[in-house]
Amino acid sequence: MNEALLNGLALAADGPKFPTVNDFLLPQIIFPGTPFAMNRIIMVRIIATVIMLIILGISAARAKLIPGRWQGAVEWVIEFVRDQIVYQVMGKERGQRYLPMITTMFFTILVFNLCGIIPGFNIAATATITMPLVFAGWCFCQYWIAGIREKGLGSFLKDELFPKGVPAPIYILLTPIQILELLVIRPVSLTLRLFANMVSGHITVGVCLAATQWFLIEIPNKLWSILGVGTLAAGLIMTLFEILVAALQAFIFAMLTTAYINMSYPETE
Amino acid sequence: MTLAEENGINLFIPEVYDIVWSLVILAVIAVFFYKFFMPKFQAIFDERTAKIEGGIAKAEQAQKEAAEAKAKYESQLSNARVEAAKIRDDARAEASHIVADARARAEADAAQITANAQRSLESQQQQAMVSLKGEVGALATALAGKILGAKLQDSDVQSSMIDSMIADLDAKK
Repeated sequence: MNEALLNGLALAADGPKFPTVNDFLLPQIIFPGTPFAMNRIIMVRIIATVIMLIILGISAARAKLIPGRWQGAVEWVIEFVRDQIVYQVMGKERGQRYLPMITTMFFTILVFNLCGIIPGFNIAATATITMPLVFAGWCFCQYWIAGIREKGLGSFLKDELFPKGVPAPIYILLTPIQILELLVIRPVSLTLRLFANMVSGHITVGVCLAATQWFLIEIPNKLWSILGVGTLAAGLIMTLFEILVAALQAFIFAMLTTAYINMSYPETE
Repeated sequence: MTLAEENGINLFIPEVYDIVWSLVILAVIAVFFYKFFMPKFQAIFDERTAKIEGGIAKAEQAQKEAAEAKAKYESQLSNARVEAAKIRDDARAEASHIVADARARAEADAAQITANAQRSLESQQQQAMVSLKGEVGALATALAGKILGAKLQDSDVQSSMIDSMIADLDAKK
């Protein structure tokens, strides 16, 4: 490295403003200290909710027998959730009861995830542990309710904790794992998968763009701009990738919720 | 870096206000989806399905009706054809019947007329014969009387003579 380059680095001694976990631990802006306090992510969540409800509400209110382009797109998503997730996993008869729930989950998680790449929001509304946890809690309640309703509590627990066709000594190992699975692993894995994806997505895009800012603008030595162009391109690619991740995580969450609920039903083949 | 490490664990600890807002928001969204959005689109889907099925059913109905009408017309047509053929046959049979009748009647008439003619001819002949017999007898008697010059007194002889004469005439004829 030559002298000028080192000087340039030394001048901007602070370094790039890389994102940290503090991006997700924001100060309470409104009603601080009360149970109704809001930070930036919660405001993003409320605004996203309002926008989503207005758009989908207008779409539903104006829905016609012969759909236009937008209605066709909305219907495509509804039918995707219905046919590719719910009916695919549960079948039509069982699935009808859970259609509104899974559709709610899919739409909401998708919209909340997409907030991460919407300029101005720049953070997913699902990027605190609580929102995914609430969704996972809903799923948790539903598969317990389904199991108790369909089999009765005892029979449900027996089927879950002592799976059929396993030699008796294996239960020593298997039953604790099944208890953990039923009570902890399922909801926590749902929560962490979604939350961690949103955090890592935000940090990845943030790192790319912070580096771009640093290399293109803040360093006086313009030789670094070449790297900056590279990081900008990476930021663009990662943003597009985040769209994919947003949809994929919504899909996975809805799919797993459906699968967990379906596992509570008795096997009838 | 130590600050970030200390805060890192906080990422995974839900805040009370966050739980409150997450639940409120999810409840609002869920009510929207359960009470308005899904029923509305479900109704649209159902209506569309019904309409498509109705359209198909209507088309099938129309096709069935058309087929029925066609079958009906065809059967009527064939009935009409059969009837026409029957009428033609009847007419032909009747015509030949009338002709045969007329011929038979004509033949009977002809036979009767012939028979009548024959009969009247015969009776006339008989009459002529009878009258001739009488006249010829008288004439012959008168003639013979004149020739013989003598009057045949015996009427029995007279009539036997006449009879033999007539028998002679008949035999000659």
